[in-house]
Amino acid sequence: MLEIKDLYAEVDGKPILKGLNMTVNPGEIHAIMGPNGSGKSTLSNVLAGRPGYEVTSGSVIYQGKDLLELEPEERAGEGIFLAFQYPVEIPGVSNMAMLKAAVNSIRKYRDEKEMPVGEFLKTIKEKAAFVEMDPEFLKRSVNDGFSGGEKKRNEILQMSMLQPTLALLDETDSGLDIDALKVVSKGVNALRSPDRSMVLITHYQRLLDYIVPDFVHVLSNGQIVKTGDKDLALKLEAEGYAWVDELESQAKEQGAA
Amino acid sequence: MTAAFKQTMTNALLLPQEANITLPGAGQAWLDKLRSTAAEQFIKSGLPTVRDEEWRYTDIRKLKRQQFSVQFNSPDVRAALNDLIDYDVTRIVLVNGLFSPTNSTDKVPAGVSIQSLAITLADDSLQGLLGSTLPSDRHAFIDLNTAYCFDGVVIKIADKAVLEKPIEIVHVTTGADNATVSHARNLIVAGKLSEAHIIERSISVGADNAYLNNTVTEVIAHDGAKLEHYKVQDDAEHAFHIGGVFINQSRDTSVINHNIAIGGSLVRNDIYSNLLGTGSHGGMNGLVLGKDSQHVHNHTEVAHRVPHCTSDEFYKTVLDDKSRAIFRGRIIVAQDAQQTDAEQRNDNLLLSSDAEADSKPQLEIYADDVICSHGATIGQLDPKSLFYFQSRGIKKEDARRLLTFAFVNEVVDRISFEPLRDELTQRFLGELLPDSIQEVFA
Ligand SMILES: Nc1ncnc2c1ncn2[C@@H]1O[C@H](COP(=O)(O)OP(=O)(O)OP(=O)(O)O)[C@@H](O)[C@H]1O
Ligand SMILES: [Mg+2]
Repeated sequence: MLEIKDLYAEVDGKPILKGLNMTVNPGEIHAIMGPNGSGKSTLSNVLAGRPGYEVTSGSVIYQGKDLLELEPEERAGEGIFLAFQYPVEIPGVSNMAMLKAAVNSIRKYRDEKEMPVGEFLKTIKEKAAFVEMDPEFLKRSVNDGFSGGEKKRNEILQMSMLQPTLALLDETDSGLDIDALKVVSKGVNALRSPDRSMVLITHYQRLLDYIVPDFVHVLSNGQIVKTGDKDLALKLEAEGYAWVDELESQAKEQGAA
Repeated sequence: MTAAFKQTMTNALLLPQEANITLPGAGQAWLDKLRSTAAEQFIKSGLPTVRDEEWRYTDIRKLKRQQFSVQFNSPDVRAALNDLIDYDVTRIVLVNGLFSPTNSTDKVPAGVSIQSLAITLADDSLQGLLGSTLPSDRHAFIDLNTAYCFDGVVIKIADKAVLEKPIEIVHVTTGADNATVSHARNLIVAGKLSEAHIIERSISVGADNAYLNNTVTEVIAHDGAKLEHYKVQDDAEHAFHIGGVFINQSRDTSVINHNIAIGGSLVRNDIYSNLLGTGSHGGMNGLVLGKDSQHVHNHTEVAHRVPHCTSDEFYKTVLDDKSRAIFRGRIIVAQDAQQTDAEQRNDNLLLSSDAEADSKPQLEIYADDVICSHGATIGQLDPKSLFYFQSRGIKKEDARRLLTFAFVNEVVDRISFEPLRDELTQRFLGELLPDSIQEVFA
C-alpha cells in the first residue's frame, strides 16, 4: 500500500525528516509516537502534498504510484485522507458545500458519476449521526467557531464521507474528552477493512486501547528509531522518550560504523 | 466666464447654460440659487486632479479627454429590462438620466408617490429638501449634478407605509453616436415609521461609446423609518460612473446602504450617512469586484452627530488582473455624540499580482465615551485554506474559486431582501464557480 524509503524533507530550508523508512500493508493500522517537534506532522503533510514541504531525497510509493509526483487533490482522488492536527477555519463555505464539492471532485477524478443529491444528503446525515454531530453543524461554515473537539469530530465526519484507502490521523485524539475519543475511535474502526490502512499519530497510549494498532513506531529527530507492537506504546507511556534518545545515538553510531 | 472656463478647465463637461439647455423650474428664486451656487462652486473647485488629496489615487484624465454631450432621447427599453430580474418590483426607469413613463410601471403602490424630478421642480415643493443632505466638502461632479438638476425621480413614502415590494430605480444608458453624460438626481423621502427596500441599478443597453453616469441620490429618513438602499452598479465596461448617495437620518431610524460595484472602467462613489437623530443605525455594506483595468474608488463617510447611534460598515473587494480599488472610510464622532458604537471593516482580496488595493480609515473622534473599531486587510487567498480543500480532493483552481465566492458571499449575505440576495448569489456563482460545484450552493 505505502512504502516510504529513506525520505528526507525540509521545511523552510530546515531539514526535518532525515532518512525515514516505513512500510504499510493493506489492512494494517500503524501508530506513530514521538516527542514534540520530531517530524510527525511533517511526515503527514509530506504525504498529503502540502506546499512548502520539500522532499530532498528518498521515495514514497503508494499503490504502485510515485506519490510525490501527484498534486494534493490527486492524492485525495487516489484515496489518501489527512485528518489535520489543526483543522483550518473557513468562513463562508458550509461543511455541506465543501463535502459535496469534495465527494464529487473525487468521483470525477475516478471517472465516476456524481453522487445524486438525494443520496448525498442521506449519506451525510447518517454519517453525522454516526459521529454524534448535530446536523446543524453541516450548515455551518467549515470549522468556523468550532471548539477543538468539534473540529476533530468534523475531520472524522469528512473521513467517513470520503472513505479513504489510506487515512492519516494527526493527533485526532489530542484534547478530546473520553466520549469524543470513543466517537473518533468508532469512526476509525468502522472504516477498518482488509484493503484499508491507517496511520495514527498520537501522544497518548489511551487511543490505542480503542483502536488496536498492528505496529507502533517511534519517530525521533526525523527517523523511525524503533518499531514494536502495541506494548511499545505502554512502555513509552510509562518510561517517556528518554530511552529513545539512547536508541537514536545507538542508531547514529551504527550508521557511522 | 464660459470661454475661459472651457479653456482652463476642460472640454469634457459643460454646465447647462454652456450646453444651451433650459432647465425645468427655472425662474424660481430658490431653485435658481441652488443651481447657480453649485455652478459657481463647480467653476471654483474645478474637476479634481491627482493633486487633490481625495483623488490622489484616482486619475480622471481619461474622463477629461472625452467630449461628452447630454442625450435627450429616451427610447423604449422594455424588452431589455424584461429579463433583468424574475421578481416583482415597482419599477421606475430613468433613460439617459430622464424619467421615462413608458418604461416605468404605472402601478404605484398605496402609501408612495413617485414623480419625475422635472415635473416636481415646477413648484417649490422640494425647496429645503433638494440639496439638503449634501456635504460641504463635496467634489465638483456633485456640484455639476446639482447645477443640472434636470431630471430623475422623487419618491415620497408616507408615514407608517410599509412597502411589501421594493421600489427599483433603473438607470439605463442607451447607445449614441458619441460619448454621453447624464446627471440623474433622485430624492427619496421616507416618512415616519415607514419601511422600504429601494434598489438602484445602473445598466447600459447598446451603449458602445464611452459614457459618464454622474448620479446623485439624496435620502431623507424621518423618525423611525427603516430603509434598505441597494446600489447595484453594473454599467458598461467602458463607462465612467460617479455616484453620490447622501443620507440624512432623524431619530430612531435605520438606513443601510448596500453598494455593489461590478461594472464601469472608472468608478467613484461617495456614500455619506449622517446620523442626526439619536437611537439611529447607519449601515454600509460594500462589494467591489474588479477585473481588467477597472478602477473603483469608494469614499464613505459616517457622521455621528448625536448620542446613542450605531454604525456598521463592511466593505469587501476582490481584484483580479490589473484592477485597482481605493477605499476611504471616514468616521466622524462629534463631541456630543457620546455612547456611539461605530464599526468599520475593509477586506481586500488580490487574485492577481498586478492588482492593487489601497485602504485607509479616517477617524475623527471628538467624544470620549465611544466604541469605535476599525480594521483593514489586503491579501491573497489563505494558502492553508487552499491546501485544506485540495487535501479533500478539490482542484486547486476550484478551491480558489470556492474561497473567492465565500469571501464575496459574506457581503451578499447581508442583503436582507431575499430575491435580490439570491439574484446576486446566482450571478456570482455563475461568474466565480465552475459548473461542477455551483449546485453545491443551490
Ligand atoms: N513552517 C515551518 N517553518 C520552520 N520550521 C517548521 C515549520 N513547520 C514545522 N517546523 C519545524 O519542524 C519540526 C517538526 O515539526 P512537526 O510539526 O513535524 O513536529 P511534530 O512531531 O508533529 O510535533 P508535535 O508533536 O508537537 O505535533 C519542528 O521543529 C518545527 O518547529
Ligand atoms: Mg504534529
